[in-house]
Amino acid sequence: MNTLKIMLALGLLCLSSASVQAVEIRDHHKEVIGKDCKACHDQGIKQFPSDQACQQCHDVDELAETTARSEEDKWQNPHNNLHYGKELPCQECHGEHKAKKPICSDCHTFKYDKHKE
Amino acid sequence: MSNVDLLGRRKFIAGLGVAAGAAMVAPAMAVSEKADGVKWDKEIEIVIIGSGFAGLAAGIEATKLGAKDVHIFEKMSYFGGNSAINGGLFAAPGTPMQSKEGVNDSVDRMVADQLAAGCGIADEALLRHVAEHAMEALQMTFDAGSEYHPYLQQLGGHSVARTYQTTVSCGAGITQPLLHKCRELGVHTHNRSKFEGFLVGEKGEVLGVKMRDNYHFGEDQPGKVINIRAKRGVIMATGGFAQNVNLRMAQDPTLTSEVGCTNAPGATGEGMYEMFRLGAVPVHLAHIQSGPWASPDEGGFGYVSNYSIYNFPHSIAINRLTGQRFMDEIADRKTRADAELACRDEQGNALPPILITSYKDSKKHPNTKKVIKYNVGWKFDSVEELASHFNVPLKALKTQIEEYNQYVKSGEDKQFGKNMTKAAGKYIEAPFTVVRLWPKVHYCQGGVQINTKAEVKDSFTGVAIPGLYAAGEVCGGIHGVSRLGSCSIPECMVMGMTAARSMMKA
Ligand SMILES: Cc1cc2nc3c(=O)[nH]c(=O)nc-3n(C[C@H](O)[C@H](O)[C@H](O)COP(=O)(O)OP(=O)(O)OC[C@H]3O[C@@H](n4cnc5c(N)ncnc54)[C@H](O)[C@@H]3O)c2cc1C
Repeated sequence: MNTLKIMLALGLLCLSSASVQAVEIRDHHKEVIGKDCKACHDQGIKQFPSDQACQQCHDVDELAETTARSEEDKWQNPHNNLHYGKELPCQECHGEHKAKKPICSDCHTFKYDKHKE
Repeated sequence: MSNVDLLGRRKFIAGLGVAAGAAMVAPAMAVSEKADGVKWDKEIEIVIIGSGFAGLAAGIEATKLGAKDVHIFEKMSYFGGNSAINGGLFAAPGTPMQSKEGVNDSVDRMVADQLAAGCGIADEALLRHVAEHAMEALQMTFDAGSEYHPYLQQLGGHSVARTYQTTVSCGAGITQPLLHKCRELGVHTHNRSKFEGFLVGEKGEVLGVKMRDNYHFGEDQPGKVINIRAKRGVIMATGGFAQNVNLRMAQDPTLTSEVGCTNAPGATGEGMYEMFRLGAVPVHLAHIQSGPWASPDEGGFGYVSNYSIYNFPHSIAINRLTGQRFMDEIADRKTRADAELACRDEQGNALPPILITSYKDSKKHPNTKKVIKYNVGWKFDSVEELASHFNVPLKALKTQIEEYNQYVKSGEDKQFGKNMTKAAGKYIEAPFTVVRLWPKVHYCQGGVQINTKAEVKDSFTGVAIPGLYAAGEVCGGIHGVSRLGSCSIPECMVMGMTAARSMMKA
């Protein structure tokens, strides 16, 4: 992950006292986002974050590299997969407020050990 | 060999059904309205709804013909619909590979094959139109950068080899290049945009659409409805309705939520409903194809489907309660699907049957390795091991295998009259590979009626509804009783291109 982007995101933090009940923030998100809901909810608190929101900090090319698989299984890379390339919106498989299954599991039994549901 | 929780899986089947049924109970109400006094939020030259083969081909063709402001709207967060998960099999007559391989084919021949499968109710004019332009559609994919295996295949019901398949053996080998081509040409693509209804003029002509923006499928964030004026018209390319349990049960009550589905989640049919409300003619809605080759151990089409399609001719399908065969393994799709659904335990719960194949024969299919690797199929070294894993009565199973092997030898199946030609010499012997079977709804032959200009006909006047075009699986009647494999891609793409051409001429 790009440190400059993290610094920027940190810089954007304003101390918000909004309730964060039901938020199961990932540890690394806690550090960066704290309690600033708007850091992700760029379309208003009651709306889902936009499909671009996560990309303030995460770079899809870097993610694709991290989750790359061997030649035989290369298209099982969730961040660069056979059906949708690098275009799958993050929220399709990841949720901060609720557990989600990877979209691949709609049809396949691939294992993604590090995927946090 | 892996350890699979069969009971858990069974619950999974039941659970899946409930979830799918529940999701369909209360779809957001879609309605068409008079455009009178409506405030237009946007004005666009061409509106295309749906981002599968039909929508993408329409977008490219319209732009090539000079359209400057083409927009594709897709309700899901991702583009491609069923097309992006399809098998990548594309039939066309008179192709470069056919001339290279010396295959003698023609438009007439492809139409004749399809008419035979259509059992007298297919639409010959549409089939002919598609076959005549199939090569142009294939060329469009070449131009966009699609790559194909260097050989042709001859699928069931086709009298010659005329089927290309993408090198990734998936429709994404076409949708990905087409989507990139669309964008390169300046076609605007919008995800999370759900079509909700038409806005209609004085004479019933389609002037625009109501589009729900920022829509999250399956979530309760409603998004916002905007009114979009479509200057040249609207192309409906919203695909089939195989995921809509209520609608498919209305047509065929056996297609309950217990029957799975190979389609993408967005195949729910509201675009088609809305055209009916406008006056479109419903055709062949009850002709819904289920695949008897699917597995309850994975979702969708998965890996097992192609594995079992290949292996059925030299395998036995066994009812786990009796240890005996219960069908001709290569009977037509409907017969097999019904026979599988009848396999139940003493309480009447679904008890998915098993397909037993000799490993020496199954391993010739490239998916066999994956089926075992991803725990959707299993390898056993003995009948005993197999029987105890699936809780099948051992003695009955052994007797059945012996009996069947006699049929392999004699060439005559005394139990179900299966054509044993392809099973010759292929005895059922250890080691075995085994998958579980359960039918899944696969393709909707029915939909709205169109003509060879991709115009949607009105049921009362018999003339085309002005401003409205439709292409792809949302249309009905083209294939009749049964669609031949690999004939949907050419149909979707050709009719998408046709809709764009008609619209640019209108
Ligand atoms: C697993 C599988 C394998 C197949 N294999 C083959 C094969 O090898 N060869 C072959 O010829 N055929 C095959 N078929 C059939 C073929 O893939 C489909 O018939 C074809 O993809 C349909 O294309 P389409 O453009 O009409 O619709 P789709 O590709 O389904 O696209 C329709 C799109 O419209 C969207 N949509 C729906 N409603 C709305 C709305 N209200 N607002 C906005 N968007 C909406 C959907 O989300 C979807 O993305 C297969 C089908 C499946 C399911």
